[in-house]
Amino acid sequence: MTLGAADRLWLNRATFGVTPAELRRLAQMGRIAYLEQQLHPNEAGEDWLVRLRLRGFEVFQTYPAELGDQPVSEVLRQLQQHAILRAVYSRYQLHERLVDFWRDHFNVHARKGLCAYYLPQYERDVLRKHACSRFVDLLKATAQSPAMLLYLDNASNRRGVPNENYARELLELHTLGVRGGYTQRDVQEVARCFTGWTVENRFLRPRGRFRFDPAQHDDGQKYVLGQRLPAGGGQRDGERVLEMLARHPSTARHLCAKLCVHFMGTAPASTVQRLAQVYLQTDGDIAEVLRDLLLSEEFMQAAPVLKRPFDFMVSALRALNALTDGNRPLQEHLEKMGQPLYQWPLPDGYPHGEEAWKGTLLARWNFAIALCANQIRGTWVRLPARVGRTQSADALLQAVFCLSPEEPSLQPLRKRLQGSIAQQAAMILASPQFQRR
Amino acid sequence: MMETSSERRKILVTGVSAALGWFLGGGSALAQIALNPTRAQRQGDVLVCLFLRGGMDGLNAVIPYGEDAYYRARPTLAVPAPHDRRRAAEERAIDLDGFFALHPALKPLYPFYQQGRLAIVHACGSGERSRSHFEAMSAMERGAAEAKAGINDGWIARHLLSAPRKGASPLRAVAFSNVLPESLRGSTDAVALQTLSEFRLALPKTMEATHRETLLDTLRELYAGADKDGVRQTAQETLQVLQTLQRVQPSRYRPAHGAVYPDSELGRGLKQVACLIKAQVGLEVACLDKGGWDTHVAQGSTTGWMASHLADLARSLAAFATDMGAGLSGVTLLAMTEFGRRVRENSGLGTDHGRAGVMLLLGGGVRGGKVYGRWPGLQPPQLEEPGDLRVTTDYRTVLAEVVQRRLGNPHVARVFPGWRRAAMGVAVSI
Repeated sequence: MTLGAADRLWLNRATFGVTPAELRRLAQMGRIAYLEQQLHPNEAGEDWLVRLRLRGFEVFQTYPAELGDQPVSEVLRQLQQHAILRAVYSRYQLHERLVDFWRDHFNVHARKGLCAYYLPQYERDVLRKHACSRFVDLLKATAQSPAMLLYLDNASNRRGVPNENYARELLELHTLGVRGGYTQRDVQEVARCFTGWTVENRFLRPRGRFRFDPAQHDDGQKYVLGQRLPAGGGQRDGERVLEMLARHPSTARHLCAKLCVHFMGTAPASTVQRLAQVYLQTDGDIAEVLRDLLLSEEFMQAAPVLKRPFDFMVSALRALNALTDGNRPLQEHLEKMGQPLYQWPLPDGYPHGEEAWKGTLLARWNFAIALCANQIRGTWVRLPARVGRTQSADALLQAVFCLSPEEPSLQPLRKRLQGSIAQQAAMILASPQFQRR
Repeated sequence: MMETSSERRKILVTGVSAALGWFLGGGSALAQIALNPTRAQRQGDVLVCLFLRGGMDGLNAVIPYGEDAYYRARPTLAVPAPHDRRRAAEERAIDLDGFFALHPALKPLYPFYQQGRLAIVHACGSGERSRSHFEAMSAMERGAAEAKAGINDGWIARHLLSAPRKGASPLRAVAFSNVLPESLRGSTDAVALQTLSEFRLALPKTMEATHRETLLDTLRELYAGADKDGVRQTAQETLQVLQTLQRVQPSRYRPAHGAVYPDSELGRGLKQVACLIKAQVGLEVACLDKGGWDTHVAQGSTTGWMASHLADLARSLAAFATDMGAGLSGVTLLAMTEFGRRVRENSGLGTDHGRAGVMLLLGGGVRGGKVYGRWPGLQPPQLEEPGDLRVTTDYRTVLAEVVQRRLGNPHVARVFPGWRRAAMGVAVSI
C-alpha cells in the first residue's frame, strides 16, 4: 500500500469520508497529532462558515418544556439537519463519527411519547458533551437525562412493583452486554435501585429536569452483582450501580467490541481484549481506547465494510464537495435508504453490517442519481467540467476516491462509465466500490 | 445441478414478465384482475410472516378469563370477562371456548375464528430465558431454541434454500421494512422495500427515459460477478425485481370484496402483499413488522395504548383476509412475538418482559376456531421465575407444521436444526 493509499483508507474509516483537503491535513500533521486534534473538538476551531450554518436552530435555543407547541416532525427536522451539517462539514470528523456511535448505543426513539422534545438537550448536553470523556460520566448523564428516563420508562419506576425496562437495557445494552454475567434477579434489584429517578413535573417547579423522588424510592437493602447495597442509600443506590457497571470488565469488553464494529466492521477477540485492558487501566477513558484502536494494525487490515445509509449519504456529499442545507429533501432520501436519524424504535440502535442493509441498494442508487443531477432541493453539486468521456470519468474518479484513476480496484468501474457527466458521477456513487469503506 | 440460479432466474423473469403482460392486457389495472388460482401451478402457500416486535402481552390479547389468578394479578389492566354484567358489552372480552376470550379490540378477527380460518396458540414461545428483546427476537427469527444456539442464518432463509423450487422469481421473498429481518438473514432471494410504488429507478426530469436503460445496464455490469458477495447478489436481485415490477401498478390496486385496510403501516403493508399475490409474480414469502408492544407503562385495558395496537392488528388482518377471498386458501399468515409479558402488572400500570406469548395463524389451510396449546396455569407455583407464564408449546412446532404442511417443504429438519419433531395439527396438508 502506498503512503497516500494508506492515509486514504485510514481517513475513510476514521471520518465520514476522505476528501483531498482532509488528506492534505493528515499528511501535514501526521496521524498522532491529527488524532489529538480530533479528540479535542472545540466550537471555535470550526470553520466560520460552518459556525454560521449551525446557528439559529430553534430547538437548541429553547427549553424542552417550551418546545411543546412545535410538532415532533419540526423538532426532528431541525435535529437531523443539525446532525447532517455537522457530519458533512465539521472539522472534528472523528468526534462526529463517535457521536453517531453513541446515538445508537444510547438510542432514544423520537417518536415515543414526549421524547423528541428532550432530544436536542440530550444530543448537545449528553452525547456531544461526553462523547470522548470517561464512560462513567456519559453513562450517568444518560441515566439522568429526561430523554432516556422517558424512553425506557424509568420516569414511572416506583417502589412496590418496579418497572424493569431501564434496568434491563442498562445491563444488556448500555453496559455489561447480554452475556456479561448478570441474572434476572440482578435486573430486578437494579430496577429497585432506580425507583424514584424521574422527570420533574410538579407545579411551579422547573419542569423537564431530572428529579430524585425519595417518596417513590425503595430504600431497602439490595444486592447487585453479588454486592450488598445497604438500606437507606437513596439516590446513591443508582449512582453506585452506574459506577459499578462502568468499571466492570464485561462493560469494557462489550463497549470495545462495539467500537471495533462501528469503526472497522469487525471485532477480533484479541483486539477487543487489548482495548478492554486500556479501558480498565484508564478508568474507561474513551479517547484512550480510540487512540489505541485507530493506530492499530487491525484497523488498517480489516476487510472493507458496507457503509450504513447515513455514512453513505454523508460520504457522497463530501466526495462531491456538495453544498447542502441538510433540510427535508435530503432527509427524505435518508428515510428511503432506511436510516432516518433518531427514529430506530428499539433501544439497541440502528444495526451494522451487510445483512441488515444490503436490501435497500435501490434507494442509494436513486439518491446518487438525484444528487448528481442536482435534483435535491437545497443541495447542490458542481461536477468537474471536463470535455471528453475519459477525461471527465478520470477527473470524477480522482475526486471521489482520492485515488489515481489507474488504481487497479477502480478499473472495473472506470471502463464502464458512460453518458453525461451527471450520469457518470451517479454511477460512481452507486457503484459497489463506493458502498464500502 | 450445475445450472446457475441466475440463469434459472433469467428464464423465469422472462416467463413471469410474459405472463404478466398477458395477464394485465393493454394497460389494464390490477383492480380488474380476478384471482385465478388454477392458472398458477402452486406447490404451497404464500407465507406472510408478521413479527409483533416488543413482546405482545398474550394474556391481554387472548384472555384466560377462566382463571381468577389473572384478575388478582392485574387489578387495573385486566379485561372484563365475557359474562361480567357490571361492564358494557363492548368492554368485555369475546368468549372463544369457555376459558379463553378475545380482547374486544380483536373483534374484527372473531368471524374468521368462527369460520375456522383463524387459530390461536397460547403459552407458546422459545427456550430463550434472558427476557431480552434482542436475544428473544434473534432466537425466533433464526428458528433456534435460544439465541446462543449457534445458528446464524434465518429460518425463512433456510426454508427458501431447502424448499422445492417453484421457479426462481426475483420476488420470492419481500420484507416491507427498512432493514432486512433476521429471519431472512443468509438469503440472497430477499429484498427490503418500503412501498411497491416507490420501488423504481427514479429519473430526474433532466434525464431522458432512454437513460434508464443505460443506467440499468451500467448497474448490472457494475454489480456483476463474485458469487459469494452478498451485496452484489442482492443488487442483481434488485435489478430483476425492478424489471418485474415495471408491469405491476400498485397505485391502481383496488382491494376486492369491499375490504377496507386501515391507513396504518401494517394495513398498507398487507395491502401491498395482497397486490403482489394477486399479480402472481412468484411471491413465496412476505415479512412484515408491527412494533409498539413493549408496554412497560400505561398499557391500558379495554381501551388505551395496547388496545389501539390490537385494533390496528385485527382490522389489518381482517381486511387482508377479506380482500384475499377464496385466494386465502393459498395463504398462511403467521403472527408471532418474541415473548409474552409478566403476569403481574407493575407500578407504571404496565407489564414487564415475560416468557410465553400467543401466536396467531390465519389462512385457508389453518385448522382454526380453536385455542391450541396446554395451559400451564397462572397460580404462583405454576409460573416461571420471576412470575411469568410458562412455555408449553415450542414455537418451532407451529412453524415446522406450516413449513411442512402448507409450504410443501419436507426438509423441516434443515429449517429447524435441533428441533425435536412434534405434531399439533394446527394446519391441514396441502
